[in-house]
Formats: sequence, C-alpha cells, structure tokens
Amino acid sequence: MVLAISLREAGVDPRLLVQSDAVGNAARFVRGMFPPALGVDFLGLLVRPVIETIQISLMGTTIAVVIGFPLGLLATASLMWRGALHERTPVARRALLGGVPYGLARALLSVFRAIPEYVWAFMFVRAVGLGPFPAVLALGVAYGGMLGKVYSEILEGVDSRPIEALRAAGASRAAIVLYGLVPSALPHLVSYTLYRWECAIRAAAILGFVGAGGIGQQLALSMRMFQFDEVLTELAVLFALVAAVDFVSGRIRGRLV
Amino acid sequence: MYALSDVRKVFGNDAPALDGVSLTVGRGEHVAFIGPSGAGKTTLFRLLNLTLRPTAGVLLIDGVDVAALDGAGLRRARRRIGTIYQQHNLVGRLRVVHNVLAGNLGRWSLSTAVASLMRPRAADAARALEQVGIPEKLWARTDELSGGQQQRVAIARVLLQDPDVILADEPVSSVDPSLALTIVTLLRDLSHQSRKTLLVNLHSVELALGYFPRIVGVREGRIAFDLAPDEVTPELLGALYAGHSDATRQLDRIHDGIGSYGTACRPLPGFSK
Repeated sequence: MVLAISLREAGVDPRLLVQSDAVGNAARFVRGMFPPALGVDFLGLLVRPVIETIQISLMGTTIAVVIGFPLGLLATASLMWRGALHERTPVARRALLGGVPYGLARALLSVFRAIPEYVWAFMFVRAVGLGPFPAVLALGVAYGGMLGKVYSEILEGVDSRPIEALRAAGASRAAIVLYGLVPSALPHLVSYTLYRWECAIRAAAILGFVGAGGIGQQLALSMRMFQFDEVLTELAVLFALVAAVDFVSGRIRGRLV
Repeated sequence: MYALSDVRKVFGNDAPALDGVSLTVGRGEHVAFIGPSGAGKTTLFRLLNLTLRPTAGVLLIDGVDVAALDGAGLRRARRRIGTIYQQHNLVGRLRVVHNVLAGNLGRWSLSTAVASLMRPRAADAARALEQVGIPEKLWARTDELSGGQQQRVAIARVLLQDPDVILADEPVSSVDPSLALTIVTLLRDLSHQSRKTLLVNLHSVELALGYFPRIVGVREGRIAFDLAPDEVTPELLGALYAGHSDATRQLDRIHDGIGSYGTACRPLPGFSK
C-alpha cells in the first residue's frame, strides 16, 4: 500500500529511461567519458583538490567530535537524570540540572543533523566566503549532530552496574564519565567516529558543488563544461579515495572491537 | 553506625520491597543477612549504601539523618561506605590497577583522577592486591580475570577506598564453594584488622552461621529474626525459606551434616551431625 502510493507519487516511470532521447543523452554522456582524461597536466591539477578533500574530511570530523561529544554527554539520560545514579536526587534538582540541559542538548543535536550538510555549506559559504573552510564548518555541524546522537545512545547502553558502584563509592559525575562510561564505550565511540569519517570523505566531495573546494569543485567544473573524460577520471579518483579511507578505518576498527 | 527505624521502600506501584524494617548496627560489628532470593536483601543494601532513598522511615548513619544529604555531603557520606557486589561491578576494559585505584575517586579531584589514568600510583594498588592475594594481576585487563579474581579486585578497590563500613551483597554467589569460603574469610579478616563494620548478604546459610556472630533473617521485605547463630534453630530457618525449594535442599544438607565447606565450618547448633 505504502509502496504503491510511493511508486506513483515519486513519479517512478521506467519508460522514461528507454525513451529515445534519454538513451541518446546517456550514450553521449558515456561516450564522452572515453578515453578518460589522463594528461599529466590534468592529473597534476587534481593533486591539490584530493589533498584538500582529505583535509576537509579530517578537520570536519574533528570539529564534529568537539561538538558531538559534550552534547552527546548532555543528551545521555542515564547520566543526566534517569536511573540509579539519580535515585536520591530531589525531583526539582533533577529536572533543573539534569532534564533542562538534557532537553536543550537533544534539541540542538536534532537541529544540527536535520539540516543537510549541503545546506549548511551553502549558508557557511555566504558567511565566510568560498573555499574549504565553509565545507569544514558544514561537516562539523551536521556530523556533530549525528555523532552526538549516536554517542548518547552508545553511552546509554553501557552496563550501569560499574557506574552504580563508582557512584556508591562517592565518585563525582565527571569521574564516573572518565572511569566508567568512556572506557566501557570507547571501542564503539571510536568505531562510529571512523565510520563517520568515511562518510565525510564522500560528503566533502559533494560539498565542492557549492564552491567549497576539494575534488567536488573540480567535478562540478568538469560537468558544467561537458568535459566528461575529466568527469570519469575524477570519479575514479574519488572512488580510490573512498576505498582507501574505508580500508584504513576498517583496519583500525577491526583492531578495536 | 546504622540505625534504621520503620524503613519502607516501594518501587512504583509494586508491593513494598521493604516494610517496617528497624535495625541497629554498631561500629565494628559483623552481621550476615540471609533469606530467600527476592526477600529484599539487595534493596536493603542499596538503601544502606545510599544508592536508594527510603520511601518512608528514618535511616541514620552515626546519628545523621541521611535523607537530608545532597551534593557534596552525600558524596562524603558515600565515601565512608564501601560496597562489594555479586557481579563485581568493575569496568572490564580498564586494567586492574585503574579499577583498584578507582576506590580513591570519592576523595580525588578531577585532575588527580585524570592524571592517575596516565600515570597511576601503582604502588598503592599493588599493596591492596597483595592483601587480597593477587599481586601479579596489577597490569592485567580486568575482563580477562576469572570471577574469583575479579571479586578480589573489587575487594582491593574497597580497601583503597578505606571506608568505615563494608557492605558485601552476595559476594560469593558466583564462585565455587572453596573460593567462597576464602573470600568470606578474607572479608572478615580484613574488616577485623582495620576495625571496619561488615555487613554481608549471603546465599549460603552455612557460611553465615559459621562465620558471623549476628544473623539477620529477611523474608518478604521484613526482618524475620535478628539473633546470634546458636539461637538460629532449624525451625526458624525452615520458616524463613518456606516455599523456596532450592534453599530447603541446602538446609537439608546442613541438617544431615554434609556442608559444602567441609570441616572448616564448626558444627552448627541445633543440627544433628
């Protein structure tokens, strides 16, 4: 039922794919890709954007962690107001010092990740001008929202018994985070962050389309100028980049969990 | 040390987990709590270590009503109470040294706590591990230890905490009988040396009667009896565990003189040998 409605509303029409001019356009597009552009000059031109893309993804992810981790802690119910840690806390105090920051942090995280990084980038380009910096900011904010949400879920899932023991021995909330929550959750936290970094490489490429630098900006340029041979090369480079990052982060994650 | 009067604890809309509990424990006393599972012993211990708050009634520690405690005062009070749990409640991914030193968290500042994760004062932890008999495990990862070894780490953590009272909630339910005996004697001797109050929840009636001068029976959230071990008769125990087949079998074995702990326990009064 839902599928049937979706099929109609989304305008899914396979006939469009086989219409003569669609096929012709696609064929021209594909034909134009071969042979791919492999001139030394052109490849040399791609080196900087590739490095820039990696830098954007790294910095973006770093900022995302800086934003996501503190907000993620505030958005963790078991740390802020629910469960055995707070059984003795008076209700008013629990609501004011726990519930309010918890709600604010969750709302903020929702806003951060509800707006796509592409839109963030668009806004930051307006704010700080063209170049890689708006891309970094966009990734930092949008991914910060995602990381914070997932961090809070991971922390929520940590076995509460050691936490209760630390609390019962008089440990402060910060000490409990340090000795109980983070060590228990660390492999999952790091693993998910690396996964986000993989996504950030792809996203960094797309963000180039709004003039935020990196390989994506080259890709957008080539497309606009109908240089499909360059497009193929750039896609290949992007593929290699994503595969390499997958491989590196996969290796690190494999060792962690 | 502790004075409870008419303490009641209710979770949500359930029947009260504890009701009408009045109890006084003096400084340096050793008390064993026995009773069927679900009787409310663990709830009682979580009240005593200030994790839970009584629904009604008064809980005094050294004459201070703990209901009024909050924030720093509550932390200070908790620091004086060390708890040992059935499931050890250690952080498995931390090394033993950090789990032991975590006993200090009640008095450390945050910066000291951070510094200790980088450069732990290993000598302190090593001394405590020496006392519980596993000094060689200082740098091991905690989740790689056996259940008995983890329980010793938990005891070492409490030793570092250096509380006035040790609460041990079913400390030996997940280890085999010979180890259970070792751990109970270890707890008893360590608390005796440092004049700490020791309250233990025990699954094993035999260990309780053999090693503790005061026995409190708990059934259905109420205190059934509070007696010296030689006053605890088979009839009282039968009534305490009535309807719990598992425990009744344990009593039968004591009755027949075949204890799990061999001759280490003295013959129990009122039981034929």
